[in-house]
Amino acid sequence: MTASAPTPGGDGTRRLANSLINEGDRGNLYLIGLGVLAAIGGFLFLISAPMQALLGDSAWAAVSGLHGLAAGVFMIGVTVGGYQAYRLYRGSALNIGEMQIGATVTAVAATITILFGNWIYIAYRATSGPRTYFLENMPAIHEIFFEFKEFMALFTLPIAVSVAFVIWYYGDQLRQRPALRNLVALGLALVFFYFMVTFGLGAAITKLRAV
Amino acid sequence: MAATAPVEGTNVPVDELKPTGPAAAAFLSGALGLLAVGISHWAGEVAPGIKAALQNLGNLWIPGAQGIGPYSGKETVGLVVWLVSWAVLHYALRKKQVDLGAYGIAFLVVIGLATTIIWPPVTHFLLGKG
Repeated sequence: MTASAPTPGGDGTRRLANSLINEGDRGNLYLIGLGVLAAIGGFLFLISAPMQALLGDSAWAAVSGLHGLAAGVFMIGVTVGGYQAYRLYRGSALNIGEMQIGATVTAVAATITILFGNWIYIAYRATSGPRTYFLENMPAIHEIFFEFKEFMALFTLPIAVSVAFVIWYYGDQLRQRPALRNLVALGLALVFFYFMVTFGLGAAITKLRAV
Repeated sequence: MAATAPVEGTNVPVDELKPTGPAAAAFLSGALGLLAVGISHWAGEVAPGIKAALQNLGNLWIPGAQGIGPYSGKETVGLVVWLVSWAVLHYALRKKQVDLGAYGIAFLVVIGLATTIIWPPVTHFLLGKG
């Protein structure tokens, strides 16, 4: 323990200053530790987990899984975007660089989710697939909810791309231009809404009958 | 006032302030593309010939389009209308300082209309399918 220099303010302030010195900032060490744990855990999981049991017997398991995984990333993007919409609307301080990266990731996630959604839709519409089952047993599930979901999913893409474009195009000028900030906030809020409708319906329908 | 002086309330010189036209173009074109998706969906429901044409359109470029039916053509219509209208609107508005509030309202109206006409109970009611 190093000797601390005398600090003004009396004995109480000196004890606080000393305790701050001795708190032990180990930020970098934590990162390394997390990385090591992740590597060990990932290795153990890959060599011992029965992944096929997790995926199931369907031939479409991988495509379905990737659609869900992309939607998961998309969900993170729209949630962060929703918070950014609030900050934009309130006129809070902005980190333009983070917003540019976040908006790009969200737009890319939208694209990938829709692409895999198109792919898994083939299985949904196949003979003896979920669509046939729903039409025979619960027609409203397909005729209302799925028919709506498949179009609401498309709504996310152009809005997400427009938001990303405006954030990149105007950059730092967003800070001082309320009209642009509000437009971006509107777009982010709508992407969140359309994503939640699509994701919610997709999860509910898949719970009833998966591909 | 010099043309390079900052705009009041900002630190951006006025001749570097980017006009709002491109932002308006980006958002409005997205909404128009989505409205086109809704209209093509309606058209396919009304006319079997259009439904077949939408299927053929999707078959032109989407792998496995046969498996997803006329939806592939509706996606294509939406994508083309979105991107073409964006190019046109961006070129027309790129140097214009437009009222973003008005364009924002127009965007909301078009998006709202597109969402409403795609909601199946509305579609079925207006097409007389009960």
